[in-house]
Amino acid sequence: MLTVNQLDKRRQVAGIFIVLGLVIEALCLIWSTPIAFVIFVAIGGFLMFAGIVLFLYSLVSNLKAAV
Amino acid sequence: MLHATTLILSLILFSAAVIIVLVARPTIMATRGGKILAFVAMFCLPIFCGLLGVSREMGRSKSTAFCLSCHTMEDYGKSLYVDDPTHLPAAHFQNHRVPPDEACYSCHTSYAMFGGLKVKLYGLKHVAIYYLGTPPAPENIKLYEPYNNRECLHCHLGAKSFEEGATHNADPATLPAIKSNQLSCISSGCHDMAHDLAHLKDAKFWKAGT
Repeated sequence: MLTVNQLDKRRQVAGIFIVLGLVIEALCLIWSTPIAFVIFVAIGGFLMFAGIVLFLYSLVSNLKAAV
Repeated sequence: MLHATTLILSLILFSAAVIIVLVARPTIMATRGGKILAFVAMFCLPIFCGLLGVSREMGRSKSTAFCLSCHTMEDYGKSLYVDDPTHLPAAHFQNHRVPPDEACYSCHTSYAMFGGLKVKLYGLKHVAIYYLGTPPAPENIKLYEPYNNRECLHCHLGAKSFEEGATHNADPATLPAIKSNQLSCISSGCHDMAHDLAHLKDAKFWKAGT
């Protein structure tokens, strides 16, 4: 079973990824150039996607461990 | 449009602030309410912010300023101000036959199914070439495909000036040939003056608002 610390750690890493993705999205919205669009989709999108997947994985792994 | 960006930025900041609190104090997520808050903040809000951002960026990528922000496109931007009614892009831009803030996109999109997506992919290719490759000289830029009359007819089909125009009706075969894309609107001798970069330095320019 996952310890609380492990679970928290995963959620914290997921949270950091999502925040970084959001920060990149915000910067790209302010900086209106074609490269900003690519950075937003490639880097911001990847970070947010990774964070969300990690967060969902932490939920599922916790559920499995409880069962 | 600036207002929409401000609203999206506010939502992004709010989401980030909530996530930072959850990351800093993970014990909040131990309670039932905390778990619900974490799900909303770390799943629902980022997806919502992402979709809003994509929608906003997609809208912005249609703007004339966006297209002309690349150095290669500078001369094409200048050609919109040529003071010559036979110069096709300039006449459309200056007389608001296309929305001036979406002038490039209005004529260079494809009014077919998934046409918008297709031109966005072309746009990504342009960005890749611009930053990673060697962009061609402005005068060497060519269309991927011959210009399709469909793009012109999207607006002009059914218009009196098009349907009843003297030149279009001089020969009864002309109008059907235009409508079926057999005879290009930009054929030599018709509306062939599009972005004439070669003579741009000698051209007279319209100064908007004077």
